[in-house]
Amino acid sequence: MLQLGKNVIVFDGGFGSELERRGLSGGIPEDLNITNPEDIQAIHKAYSCADIASANTFGLNRIKYHGAYTLEEVAKQAIENARASGNKVFVDIGPTGMMLEPLGTLTFDEAYNAFAEIADITKDLADGYIAETFSDLYELKACILALKEHTDKPIFATVTFDSTGRTLTGSTPEIVANTLEGLGVDALGVNCSLGPKELLPVVQRLLSSTTLPVIVQPNRGLPVLENGKTVYKLDIDEFEQYTEKMLEMGVSVIGGCCGTTPDFIQRISRFSGAPVNRPEIEPKTAVNSATILTEIEGVKICGERLNPTGKKALKEALLTENYDYLIDEALKQQEAGADLLDINVGLPQLDEPTVMPLVVRKIQEYTDLPLQIDSSDAGAIEAGVRYANGIPLINSVNGEEEVMAKIFPIAKKYGAVVLGLTMDKNGVPPTAQGRYEIAKRMIARANDFGIPKHKIMIDTLVVTASAEQAMVKETLEALRLVKALGVKTALGVSNVSFGLPNRPLLNRTFLTMAMTCGLNMPILNPLDGEMTGAIKAHAVLSGEDENSEKYIETYKDYTAASAAALAAAKSTEKTAATLSDCVKQGLKNRAEELCEAELQQHDPMYVVNEILIKALEEVGNGYESGKLFLPQLVAAAEAAKQAFAVIGRHLPKDAEPKGKIILATVKGDVHDIGKNIVKVVLESYGYNVIDLGKDVPAEKVVSAYKEHAPIAIGLSALMTTTVKGMEETIAALRSENCKAKIFVGGAVLNAETAQEINADHYTKDALAFAKLLDELCGK
Amino acid sequence: MNFSEIKPRIYNYLGVKGIQPSPENDELIFSCYTELDQIVQFNYIYKSYAAPPDFLQKQPYTDFLAGTTGVILCATTIGTVIDRRIGRLTRTDLSRAIVLDACASAYLEARADEYEKTIADDLTYRFCPGYNGSSTDDLKHIFRLLRPEKIGITLNKSNFMLPSKSMAGIIGIGKSAEKHCEDCIMQKKCRYREEGKRCYSSEKTL
Repeated sequence: MLQLGKNVIVFDGGFGSELERRGLSGGIPEDLNITNPEDIQAIHKAYSCADIASANTFGLNRIKYHGAYTLEEVAKQAIENARASGNKVFVDIGPTGMMLEPLGTLTFDEAYNAFAEIADITKDLADGYIAETFSDLYELKACILALKEHTDKPIFATVTFDSTGRTLTGSTPEIVANTLEGLGVDALGVNCSLGPKELLPVVQRLLSSTTLPVIVQPNRGLPVLENGKTVYKLDIDEFEQYTEKMLEMGVSVIGGCCGTTPDFIQRISRFSGAPVNRPEIEPKTAVNSATILTEIEGVKICGERLNPTGKKALKEALLTENYDYLIDEALKQQEAGADLLDINVGLPQLDEPTVMPLVVRKIQEYTDLPLQIDSSDAGAIEAGVRYANGIPLINSVNGEEEVMAKIFPIAKKYGAVVLGLTMDKNGVPPTAQGRYEIAKRMIARANDFGIPKHKIMIDTLVVTASAEQAMVKETLEALRLVKALGVKTALGVSNVSFGLPNRPLLNRTFLTMAMTCGLNMPILNPLDGEMTGAIKAHAVLSGEDENSEKYIETYKDYTAASAAALAAAKSTEKTAATLSDCVKQGLKNRAEELCEAELQQHDPMYVVNEILIKALEEVGNGYESGKLFLPQLVAAAEAAKQAFAVIGRHLPKDAEPKGKIILATVKGDVHDIGKNIVKVVLESYGYNVIDLGKDVPAEKVVSAYKEHAPIAIGLSALMTTTVKGMEETIAALRSENCKAKIFVGGAVLNAETAQEINADHYTKDALAFAKLLDELCGK
Repeated sequence: MNFSEIKPRIYNYLGVKGIQPSPENDELIFSCYTELDQIVQFNYIYKSYAAPPDFLQKQPYTDFLAGTTGVILCATTIGTVIDRRIGRLTRTDLSRAIVLDACASAYLEARADEYEKTIADDLTYRFCPGYNGSSTDDLKHIFRLLRPEKIGITLNKSNFMLPSKSMAGIIGIGKSAEKHCEDCIMQKKCRYREEGKRCYSSEKTL
């Protein structure tokens, strides 16, 4: 009996190439299970030298499969065919072939449901599952969750890497390993992609990043074109040699992909049952998104600005569903150097379990930092962790048994790192020793749930120096003690200074003291340069920043004067003396200040009519005559938009705004750069733009029309195929007796098409749209 | 990929208005190109056939493939990271997003052209479904036969591919052919043509 991880297990080889060799390619491969069962069984028999057969079910899910039979019919027959091998049969699960949100339109839940359906159909028939050839870690997460929640059979998961050593969605082997191990698969690895030789570096990196069995199913080298045919030419001896090399490195499961034939698998089947020779590795505390892995080592910054406690503007944004505000906050923190972002939506008016996943998805649409899901509501934590791409951090659990019993199973299921607060039902122990005891208890209890120590971080809790001065040093001492337990630590440092003057000084000093005591993850405002500066300085003095490289890079141009003018210190930034120049040169960072200066001298309407509009006209003329190009037009519009925002604050509340415009990229289309250009240009002309985003269904445009009563609606489509969606949207608006003028635009449109689909106006670019609107509004 | 080779193509994508290259514009484009170079993941897959698959047994493909000895189905992409970067820039710096977008399009075309030269000497250009009156529905056939999912390309119901910087098409073997406006998807809607410009060498009138 072969034991996974102890004995080498051999999987079968390429299926597509075998179909081709038998003249069966070209149709839907899964249908062959039913139309040609003897042929399929013959292939499985040819692979009987392997230990595990993968059923011919790669494209079998409701999103991808459009064959002649039901999923159930195909799956059952496919598994039966694979039984002809006489081996264990794994259901082969490939990706849906559709791109998930946010880049694509397929939702996480739709992908999940498609995989869950296959799991339900096959769970009593198969011996296990191999999810393979995935590129998108988020889709693979949906697949693994579906399998884990619908079957109890072993799950192997493999992804494809390209020659840069990343998946096609930018995940490194370390990120893949951290995510899949966290999700609790039984073996993880790589398939297809490249030949065994080219895969060696990727395999090495996987082996160094996980304690799980690693599976490798390479192609038969790289394909070449020969006499008009694509062929794989790697020699069987070489394939065997590389396989042996991988086994020496510590690989547990081997097989083949494109181009490999039964001969190849026959050859490597001699390794079956050999003992797996796996070097030990030190597990790491790490969180990750699809493209960034943050190892909690040294000092890492968790950005705290997406927590509404004490933040009026964020509260307002959450309550009014102004998620743009949240996205901007997230981006600012990333630019300022945050390593992960805290997300907390705890407001009494909000249903946290509903809002948390919504915000998580919005934030990860634009930032690729790992996330910290922060809530006291277990339902909100689970919802957030489920939809987070990768491995997040959970904030938090504490020493109370009830809380641990709720939170640890969530952390275990999703592989999240979990932050434990050293308090329990009796509150925060006054002594360091008391907090240390709670930390120990939490680590032990986590272990009962199968959570290893490297998945736990401890927060020894900051108290305010003004109220409990004597306890500050207990927090620090507790840090020192829990470090000895071999866990990483966190603190919300700025709480220390509440109620005292010159808070930044106290915060910075406390942060430095805490880092000396072993703090790994301060939760703070990354936009506070004093705090992040202290971290950079600490990294030099602690030796973490080797040769002070990062420090020097940050401060190489530092002088006392430059520090004083930090905000304007970007040395490359051009200067503009007047608001007019500022707009014409597209310097949006200076627009606010220069607009304020103009408003000292002139009334708001003068600034609008005599400065902004004139500057924009000049830019527009330059663009139309070919002296300026699109990015310059847009930069000018962005600068003018900043100025308009300032003017808005100076205008009387009842001043007549210029009117609302609704913009949307229509259903089925996700190209939105053109629409975004229109948005900025219209805003620079003083219009109030309501942007519905991309892939917007007709009903949503109609309901936005009813809600906002806009003066115009702008619809965008890039593809000939999505012009249809545009036509349907216009029809839906017309049937509601739409009074707003409907504008259409996009690469494949022209005035003629616009007329055909019953739009009011076609404009060739953003500027033409704005000018025509002004004309129609009589301005 | 050499920047100076690709620069005219980037200007072409940006310069619907016929903008002249300037040191300032050069600098912006070069900075975007440098950023692009660090995050692109160029991938290309193809499969060749001695006899064209069934879906190519119709116009305009039969004309395109006349005189060839075989056909290649191909698909290529530069990955999703660039899409996400452009997406983020549309919020923080839209003008840079536009330039980066143009750089990415030009880069994909140039890398694909370059790659195709390594496949064989006597190939036509890539003819993509949608060109010269062909239907983008034919992308479905390419996806069925070639499985570009293997390099991370997806096709949605409206027949567009994601990552957005992806292409899929056919190439004739044993014949050389230059791309011309007649084959283009834009044809009479082309803004370049409106201004008397041409992307391709052809002077055929539409």
